[in-house]
Amino acid sequence: MSTQEEALEQERPASDHFMDLSGITKSFYGRTVLKRVDFTLDAGEIAVLIGKSGSGKSTLLRIIAGLTKADDGDIDMMGERVVIGGEYQKTWKAARDQVGMIFQNYTLWPHLSVRQNLALAPKKVLGESDKVIVERAERALAEVGMAHHLNSRCGQLSGGERQRVAIARALMMRPRLLLCDEMTSALDPPVAAEVLGVITKLKEEEGIGCVLVTHDMAFAAKAADRVSYFEEGVIAEEGDPRRLLSEPETPGLRKFVDAVRF
Amino acid sequence: MTSYHFDWSIIPQSLPTLFKGLGLTLEVSVITIILGTILGFPLATARMSKHEIIRWPAQAYIEVFRCTPLLVQLLWVFYALPAFLGVTIPAVPSVCIALTANMTAFMAETYRAGMQSVPVEQIEAAQMLRLSRISILRHIVVPQAFRQQIPTILSIYVSLFKDTSLVSALGVADVTFQGNILSSQTYRPMEVFTTVAIIYFVIAFPLTLFTSAVERRIISSSTMGAPPRSGGFWRQLMPGRRPVIPIPAAATTPGAAGGSAGGEPVAGDQLLESRLTSLNPQGDPS
Repeated sequence: MSTQEEALEQERPASDHFMDLSGITKSFYGRTVLKRVDFTLDAGEIAVLIGKSGSGKSTLLRIIAGLTKADDGDIDMMGERVVIGGEYQKTWKAARDQVGMIFQNYTLWPHLSVRQNLALAPKKVLGESDKVIVERAERALAEVGMAHHLNSRCGQLSGGERQRVAIARALMMRPRLLLCDEMTSALDPPVAAEVLGVITKLKEEEGIGCVLVTHDMAFAAKAADRVSYFEEGVIAEEGDPRRLLSEPETPGLRKFVDAVRF
Repeated sequence: MTSYHFDWSIIPQSLPTLFKGLGLTLEVSVITIILGTILGFPLATARMSKHEIIRWPAQAYIEVFRCTPLLVQLLWVFYALPAFLGVTIPAVPSVCIALTANMTAFMAETYRAGMQSVPVEQIEAAQMLRLSRISILRHIVVPQAFRQQIPTILSIYVSLFKDTSLVSALGVADVTFQGNILSSQTYRPMEVFTTVAIIYFVIAFPLTLFTSAVERRIISSSTMGAPPRSGGFWRQLMPGRRPVIPIPAAATTPGAAGGSAGGEPVAGDQLLESRLTSLNPQGDPS
């Protein structure tokens, strides 16, 4: 993007949405994973990204998180332009503070206890006192249904419990948006439902928005405000989950829904 | 088999001399272990640097010391340093320098392997919590890497302790050198060197037992927090079978093979995508 185009981009008013992605493009070693993807999210909204493996949904999540750099495209967050032409701006740092991420694999630090997992970032980044941290940690654990596990060791927890602690750890940094990358794919369906229930509760009680990559169609139909179907690097179909999953328009989504329905 | 008549009567009077040599062996070992353990860390960090100008010299250093015999390194440092620096270094400091240089290379590779064994997701989770690079290294990577590599590090210590016997080739009066002198004086090499071997064994064997115990403890604690083998400290030191890692019932049921616990098949392109993403050199915009 030329300097003139960048200046024009900066002059363009930022979006009213909580988050607005436009023209996001990403290639890995000559293979284009995302092709000029547009995506918006309102505050407190739950958006579910579905699609076949390799369709680009996880990459989009990582770009929003700042873990992967887009080749091109803009990102507005909370009324600020934070990415222009794939380049992260100074405003990005403040926007990133509002974003938390839960990964597919259990990413608790296994050598630390639950308390230490929850306390490390607030202590080092926010500079909070031990007393405040413990109070907040107890509250965060209660929110995810893990009260009384503050002093547990990570090795004592089951898969579902670990993911719930991972959510509590993200909550300790007071995010307004949670990004969840297939966080229930390694869990049994009942446990997955419990973990996903936490996301719904956080939306209702805290107004925390969420972008989830998941193959759990039951959750998408029940709790999502919007579902986006990814196919070969573009959003092929998007809309209300009940309509989208019951009457898919694109052949790809029809096939996908048929494959996951039983 | 020729009949050899052992005469152990010369050993009691040889022990003070051997113990004097053992003192020097331990002194050289401890100095080298301390320096190599410390210096290995910056070398490992340089070896993992994204800047080629830092990474390549570190890698070259490691490969030179890994791919040449220790005895040659000892001789080279002993003769080269006076030639290059114009100063004569006594034998003991010279062997300490050579052994430290060698051990630093091996420790650096051990640290690097440990640090790279920490899953990238754990580091990304820390980045998402806005922890600084130094905090990530100090609180997440190094503790796990060190814990993971303790058995390897202890094995390197044991190897180094045994390898110090090579310094006798440079006239350093360690336990092997003293044994050599005693065997010449008494004409009883079998008895003397058997005693020397026992001295090395008595020190190295508890260390190897300790290494095995630590290894078992690490394996035990990595299996969903299973408690270590019971029976007290001494029983844990004794060699034994590795603990069996329990396999979840879901993984053994038909149809679960090749898939995750949730029944979601792990597709090749998904793995490729995640791998490509993790390898992205421009991944961190901050």
